[in-house]
Amino acid sequence: MIERRFHRDLYPTTAVDGAVKLFERFARFEQADEGDYRVVRITARRPEREQKIALELSNYALGLTRQGGLS
Amino acid sequence: MSTQTLDRFPKDLAVSDLAAGSVTLTVDAAVYPLEAVYGAAYIFIDRCFVLLDRPKAGSVAVTLSPKKAAADAEALRQMAGEFANELLTQAWRQKIVEENRVILETVTTQALAGATARSAPTEPSLDDLASFDFTEEAFDDPLGIAMSWEEKYKKKTPTEAASEAPAVSGSTGAKP
Repeated sequence: MIERRFHRDLYPTTAVDGAVKLFERFARFEQADEGDYRVVRITARRPEREQKIALELSNYALGLTRQGGLS
Repeated sequence: MSTQTLDRFPKDLAVSDLAAGSVTLTVDAAVYPLEAVYGAAYIFIDRCFVLLDRPKAGSVAVTLSPKKAAADAEALRQMAGEFANELLTQAWRQKIVEENRVILETVTTQALAGATARSAPTEPSLDDLASFDFTEEAFDDPLGIAMSWEEKYKKKTPTEAASEAPAVSGSTGAKP
């Protein structure tokens, strides 16, 4: 299991949720609010896959955040 | 995590993690607005994995991990430098936009107002048309400009020619 922490000042919850929704067919996700962070825990079959999904998830969440700001 | 400072970078600004193959820049939010950080980060997501964090109030940490493997210290330093340059570009661009915002809004407003005025209903409405009196003569036409050619130059009947003849002969007869 790998954990990704998204600060709520920087990533809107909708962006994180949207990214999780896109990747949920590749791994199992658990989300929780811890302080200022939206914490996403990713579980996949292999650690490398978890790492890869976590990195891609971050990029996608950033993209959604940016698009939300532009619209 | 074994972090080390980057060559030719301020110690507090950028650190690299060779084991993780990533570099983290800590940006002062008072110097670089958040929109500039977003803009620069967004430009880098095609070649890096980017994660933003807020280690403390008033600063944003940007962690860049190259998508391609083989991220040695020099590659990470290069990437951090490019990101810092892009950050500056984005911040400057945003400042220019803010400074010119009033001009942009004024020009846009004037353009829209002009377009609206041009399409304003200056033509008569259907109600005006319904109440218009078509019976009265539109204008006088002493030279017969509005007449058709046939109407103006048609062959005259003998009666018509005779009725006009005295006037013509009278005018020519006055000549010496």
